[in-house]
Amino acid sequence: MAVEEKLIDIIADQLSVDKAKVVPGASFIDDLGADSLDLVELIMAMEEAFDIEIADEVAEKIVTVQDAIDHINKIS
Amino acid sequence: MKLPPLKIGSFTAPVPLIQGGMSIRVSTAALAVPVARSGGIGTIGGSGLPLEELQADIRKAKSETDGIIAVNIMFAMQNFYNLVMGSIEAGVDMIITGAGFSRDIFKIGKETNTPIVSIVSSPAFARLAEKLGAAAIIVEAKEAGGHLGTDQALRDLFPEIRKVVKKVPLIAAGGITNGFEMAEMMDQYGADGVQIATRFVLTEECSVDDTFKQAMLKARPEDVTLIRSPVGLPGRAIKTPFVERLAAAEELKTKECRWKCLKKCDHVYCISDRLMKACEGDLEEGLFFSGENVWKMKEIMTVQEVFDQFVSQAESVYKEPR
Repeated sequence: MAVEEKLIDIIADQLSVDKAKVVPGASFIDDLGADSLDLVELIMAMEEAFDIEIADEVAEKIVTVQDAIDHINKIS
Repeated sequence: MKLPPLKIGSFTAPVPLIQGGMSIRVSTAALAVPVARSGGIGTIGGSGLPLEELQADIRKAKSETDGIIAVNIMFAMQNFYNLVMGSIEAGVDMIITGAGFSRDIFKIGKETNTPIVSIVSSPAFARLAEKLGAAAIIVEAKEAGGHLGTDQALRDLFPEIRKVVKKVPLIAAGGITNGFEMAEMMDQYGADGVQIATRFVLTEECSVDDTFKQAMLKARPEDVTLIRSPVGLPGRAIKTPFVERLAAAEELKTKECRWKCLKKCDHVYCISDRLMKACEGDLEEGLFFSGENVWKMKEIMTVQEVFDQFVSQAESVYKEPR
């Protein structure tokens, strides 16, 4: 699915990790080594790429790759 | 020479000094009002207060002074938005926020024409805060009391952030105890002002129990230590019996969560209970946050005396920044 692929590219790019590691179950902090700044920047990159707005409250719940996929699928 | 004023949004503080927000109930209107009257920015610590109490305190402060009243609210609070919106509704002049990073807050600031001041401890967050619309940025280093976002000292951290913040006032915080250091931060390091907190606990006006002030007055350098906080950040506090028990890994969990105050809490101990106990003067059970250099301060003064001392010391050495 194009949306998912695009999202995985963004995540891999923002967090400077190999795309193969960006699996649905991966946690940004625990598995992909993101810090708090990386998370904010990742959310901002998602907003820009998909032309959406993600509120703090929603962003706080996006913890894994699957959470991000679900959110994008839900609103697009 | 004379210190320049501090301009944040449409507000101008004649003295470039922000009194740091201290929670819970350490900096209330009782302290913020005399600070604002003396020409600085008086800050009410909003975290951990019921909304109605915070709003009443803001209204009280605003009715008693034409000076600048801010509120400090940690992003880590469960009811962050309610506290922010409620503070704006109650007429607060600006919001100071740290301990986590909100992006929505800048939108709220724009929509309500309220300056948002971000407390940061790294160049990357400073850059982001400026980009998103912060009206000023406070660099808080490891010498500060309470929750800390860095282990870097002010004189190491500040220059890194000074390099990246171009447009908005940049304020130095953490361990500043006198006007000479204030001048140093401003003319040698290029700060537009300073934020001071611990010094203001040691004032007649600060409403905490006298036990709190005495604990600070007695503290030696080795009595100030880092603790783990349920907020998820280290915190700097005075080594009181509670802190020693915490360090000894004693079981300190409360039976039930009475406050539901944090978005994420590890429940190792209840920080709300402990901070409130400190405020009430319970030396045994309370958690007394304090800056690292508290030992340098040996007397309780009035807020006006603190201002007079800082300004006269600073102006005796202050030169135009490079």
